[in-house]
Amino acid sequence: MNVENPFQDPLRFERRVPECTVVIFGANGDLTKRKLLPALYRLMYERRLAPGFAVVGVSRTPMSDDQFRDKMRDSVKKFLEDSPFDDDVWAGFSQGLFYMAGDVHDADSYARLAARLNEIEQARRTGGNVLFYLSTQPSQYASTAKGIGAAGMARGNGWRRIIIEKPFGHDYDSARELSREVHEVFPESEVYRIDHYLGKETVQNILAFRWGNGIFEPLWNRRYVNHVQITAAESIGVEGRGAYYQEAGALRDMIQNHLLQVMATVAMEPSGVFEPNAVRDERAKLLRSIRIMKPGQVNLDSVAGQYGPARVGGADVPGFRQEPGVDPNSRTDTYAAATFFVENWRWAGVPFYIRTGKHLPKRVSEITISFNPAPHFLFGHNGDAATPNLLILRIQPEEGISLKFSSKQPGAGMKLRPVSMDFNYGASFGERSPSAYETLLLDAVLGDATLYSRQDMVEASWSAVRPIMDAWSDSKVDFPNYPAGSWGPKAADEMLARRGHAWRNL
Amino acid sequence: MASTVQPDHILSELSELWVSLGEQHGEESAGVLRACAMTLIVLAGAGEDESAIGETLAALMRDHPSRAIVVRIRDIEQPELEARVFAQCWMPLGQRRQICCEQIEISASNGSLADVPAVVLPLVAPDLPVIVWSRLPRLLTSSALKDLSRIAARTIFDSAAFPDPKAALAALAQAAASGWRLADLAWTRLTRWRELIAQIFENPAYSSRLPSIETVAIHYSGIVPQASVHYMEAWLRLCLERAGSRPDFRLYPSGEPSESGLCRIEFAAAGPQGLSVVVRKAEGSAAEVRVDALVNRTVFPEASDHALLREELSISGRDSIHEAVLALAAKTGV
Repeated sequence: MNVENPFQDPLRFERRVPECTVVIFGANGDLTKRKLLPALYRLMYERRLAPGFAVVGVSRTPMSDDQFRDKMRDSVKKFLEDSPFDDDVWAGFSQGLFYMAGDVHDADSYARLAARLNEIEQARRTGGNVLFYLSTQPSQYASTAKGIGAAGMARGNGWRRIIIEKPFGHDYDSARELSREVHEVFPESEVYRIDHYLGKETVQNILAFRWGNGIFEPLWNRRYVNHVQITAAESIGVEGRGAYYQEAGALRDMIQNHLLQVMATVAMEPSGVFEPNAVRDERAKLLRSIRIMKPGQVNLDSVAGQYGPARVGGADVPGFRQEPGVDPNSRTDTYAAATFFVENWRWAGVPFYIRTGKHLPKRVSEITISFNPAPHFLFGHNGDAATPNLLILRIQPEEGISLKFSSKQPGAGMKLRPVSMDFNYGASFGERSPSAYETLLLDAVLGDATLYSRQDMVEASWSAVRPIMDAWSDSKVDFPNYPAGSWGPKAADEMLARRGHAWRNL
Repeated sequence: MASTVQPDHILSELSELWVSLGEQHGEESAGVLRACAMTLIVLAGAGEDESAIGETLAALMRDHPSRAIVVRIRDIEQPELEARVFAQCWMPLGQRRQICCEQIEISASNGSLADVPAVVLPLVAPDLPVIVWSRLPRLLTSSALKDLSRIAARTIFDSAAFPDPKAALAALAQAAASGWRLADLAWTRLTRWRELIAQIFENPAYSSRLPSIETVAIHYSGIVPQASVHYMEAWLRLCLERAGSRPDFRLYPSGEPSESGLCRIEFAAAGPQGLSVVVRKAEGSAAEVRVDALVNRTVFPEASDHALLREELSISGRDSIHEAVLALAAKTGV
């Protein structure tokens, strides 16, 4: 029976969180230690989780509940960002931590897990709500989902949901196949494909900025917007993840999922209501509207790069091919840039430039909306042109929004110079922002899939990058083609220059 | 001769302040970022700890950057009004640009209290909400506060500072009924308690048993229950009534100290399944929640003025739950 809680005070209390058990497959992995457990602990610390909340870690390593608790305690202490570790909170939280050694290919493991979940449901009164989190090797996603189904755990007294980490397939066909296999057990409405980029506070703020204000949306179209740039630069290399990374590459690892989702958030139509499926329908529609590049176009509208050795900050930095675990002849892209067009009335003809890469000069993620310059410039000297207005949505590290416009220089004459009007997220809202995993885990427990990818969104984004992947796999770009610590291959600058544009100097 | 204050003069001092702040930080700096999301008018006694209020405001500026107008009221009748302006600045970790908020301090005597609104009103930051925080209970009935509250999105009191808790609730309820948008920090101190209770009954297994709750016991610190205890009782009565329960309420004094005035709340339900819920302040800065045999602990630090104000300032509209609870607490005043 669903009884309304008369004690709720939505004005002051955070969102309601039902009791549930989170089952983490791959509980001995890095993601669990670095992100998931610290995020769950933090939610408990903030009193966001229900008292009976429980976590069951599953992995192959034999461990007792207490050993798992000790291990997770160390991890939480180590990876808890900007939050204190409190022994009392941990004492309560750890009572709900359980561990089960099991193999995702072994039917008996699932049967034991089902029995364990029943015990926990009774002891902690979780109402049978279970959230399965697949943090295993991607190749094990389908078999794990099927194992859950075969043991009868996809149905129960409460809701049953499954979170799948990226990558959702390694191309369009494998993504479809993965969805088909998962759907044998879980309906699409209970499948949560996590893209932690969408959980970032500032990415969510794009929606607030666009739809919570009346003055920007009328300018948000081909009539006023000249082009859009999306940059996600990392200053570090593959950091020991060379073996994984050389199977993925920048296009698959960043553009296909994170950055196309960001682009969709920037360019999508407003939904009628702010509800998960309404928002996701619009996001999916936008992704489906991305023009699919023709084979002859790929060379002009995309650039692959791979960093080579260089001296950065007085130290020798190895090239990608010299990284441990990387094939010395690897053809993996550590840099990817592409020009996308959206085929709809709002955006027809407006280029969306996206770039991402490893070992670029600094860590920065920004979206820049470059507006058309004033149609007739009154203040030109010696052929000066109007400086375009830029709206910059800064995602990391300094979160905020800036508007660049021209202003008269003080003094005689009419000289203009660009100035910046800044909104600094930290300055206006000093409260700590929740981490992306805190936001997304809480959303999944609450059944809010707004920030999760849906099958059609995943397939649309694979479709958008498929011609690039195909062309790159056939081409013979001379790698490495940019030194570590630089802004990527020259060809990426030329890609913009062909349309009279240039990457922003970040 | 009585000193006077010209709002225009203060405003021009504010402009100069920003220019000089910009000039202080040579070529190397990225300048100063002005942040302002509201006007916060603080009414305090001249004898109050200046540095404590300053620290509260400085901490608050990071969450709610505002133009702060601190009016210090001196307990003398001779008319006296003075003002000065300065900035609260901080450098966010790892950034090159300082963030600054402006602060205006006005010193007024009791005899000049009536002149304060005319000085303050031109100084509020345009187009942004105005919040009044009165630290002086006696101002509740003053015409100066009445004038300021007319433009205020919220007027904040702390009924815990009033000498008589029942009289305080009655006076606040009367002000709320006459249209003031009130906040009471004594109520804010209960948020964590209330949230813990709400969280427990989020579970349908427990909320389904709410109609069979027969007794609620509230253990309070001190000899006489503080306003927050009356608030808690009124809130629980309202909530339980909505769930179809009219339990017997019992209040017990307890020897334990508690900043909110509450030490322990117990719910007991009858019936074959029964239910026992205990929420209590535990040792240190923790709270213990016991639901039948399930025990959990959570952090429960004492809320500073800064934390309480931060919560109130994040509410921009009416707080209908507080209004309803205040009205009932003032009526029952148990």
